[in-house]
Order: sequence, then C-alpha cells, then structure tokens
Amino acid sequence: MSAAITIPPATTQVYQVFIRATPEQIWEAITNPDFTEKYFHGARTEYTGGRRVSKGPDGQLYADEAVLEFDPPRRLVHGWRSLYSPELAAEPTSRVTWEIAPQDGGFCLLTVVHDKLEGAPRTAENVSGEGWMMVLSGLKTLVETGTPMAD
Amino acid sequence: MDDDDVVFRALADPTRRHLLDQLYERDGRTLSALVDEQPEMTRFGVMKHLRVLEGAGLVATRRSGREKLHFLNPVPVRLIHDRWISKYAERHVSALAELKTEMEESA
Repeated sequence: MSAAITIPPATTQVYQVFIRATPEQIWEAITNPDFTEKYFHGARTEYTGGRRVSKGPDGQLYADEAVLEFDPPRRLVHGWRSLYSPELAAEPTSRVTWEIAPQDGGFCLLTVVHDKLEGAPRTAENVSGEGWMMVLSGLKTLVETGTPMAD
Repeated sequence: MDDDDVVFRALADPTRRHLLDQLYERDGRTLSALVDEQPEMTRFGVMKHLRVLEGAGLVATRRSGREKLHFLNPVPVRLIHDRWISKYAERHVSALAELKTEMEESA
C-alpha cells in the first residue's frame, strides 16, 4: 500500500524530543551557529538584530526572517521561509516555535511547532517527517554526547 | 530514561497503531474526532490509548482555543529507527520491504 504518499502534509506540525541536558545547553545548541552547523544541514544560524539568519556551508543564504519571541532559555519563535530553493522561497512565511520545558530527572522536553503552513504546501512537505526529525535527533545526539550524529 | 521500552510497548497494540495512522492521515485532531472514527470503542477507551501514546511521546497535545488537539510526534519512531533499524542491515530490510510492497501491489 503506497496510498500514504498522496496525503497532504499537515499545516501544523508538532515534534517533541526528550533531551538529557539543561535548558541552557539546549538553548545554546539552538542559537549558537557553531552548534547549528553540526546538526542543521550544515547551516550556521544566528539570532541578531531581531532576525534569524541562516547560512549554508558556502555562505549562501538559507533563511532571513523575523524573530518574533526570544525568551532564553525557554521559548523562541521565528518566521520560516526556505531560501535554499526558489520554489520554496516563493511561498509565504510560516512560523516555527521552540519550547524548552524542564522535566524531573535532569531532562528537558523540546517541542518544535511549525505552523501557519496553510499557504505553503511545498514547504510543509519539505520540512515534514525526515526534515525536522533529522534536525531534532541530530540536536539531541549533539547535546547529549558532544559529537554530531554519524551519517 | 530508556524511552525505547515505552515506545515499543505503546506500538505493540493494534488500536494504538491505528490511532497513529489516523493522525498521520490528518494531524491535529480532537478526542471527539478520533472517537468518531472508532465506532467500536468507547470514549474512555480511546482516551486510555491516547494517554499511553502520549506517555511514549508518540502523540503530542496542544491547546488551540478551547480545544485540545492531538498531533502525531514521529521523533521517537525516528530514534528507534536510528538505534535499531539502521544499525542492523537497513539495506536488507528495505530490499525486503520493497519486495513485499511489489508483490502485494501486483497481487
């Protein structure tokens, strides 16, 4: 059965992962480009001047969107538009929310909500499943072990 | 925390796998919407299964106004995949899975 392929990707996507680390460590992994390049498709991502600017390995611009909330080490909200593909860049800006919630026992629950994807079906497809999952499992491995996930 | 046990246990039940499939088809649903699609089950039964899935991290809930919406969270499955599938002969597994799909489609 391959019927699943025809199902349109969700316009709100939720991803959660438990990470054995402090909120500060996780915040650092999300906002420090030296960390992001190790798990976010090689992209160096910086949060400066109310913008989230992400650049690929050769300096090409992957993203440049507004930061809507910046509340370390708990909550980060920013716009999302994928500039690495003209097709995706043509779609309207969607929204990404990161939430870090400390749990008992030295863990945090990291939640990523990617929403406002109603007008951006190709972006929704591009980030769904593998996209955010690879980023989050890579982030978890990096924060917990100090080394990037093997390919 | 060894999450693998909890995830495997949650996935071991056909009703819970069915609930995950339903969320895969349409994500972000209320309890009532999920209950409507399980005529053979009580609201309490569906709630109980959702709670197990939530406990395993396979279902995440978000509030939207007055509604509580249930979302499929695929990350634990990915982690199990990384830990248990890619380690052991992923290539063989995917070849066999493809063969099965091909045979079922031509049947």
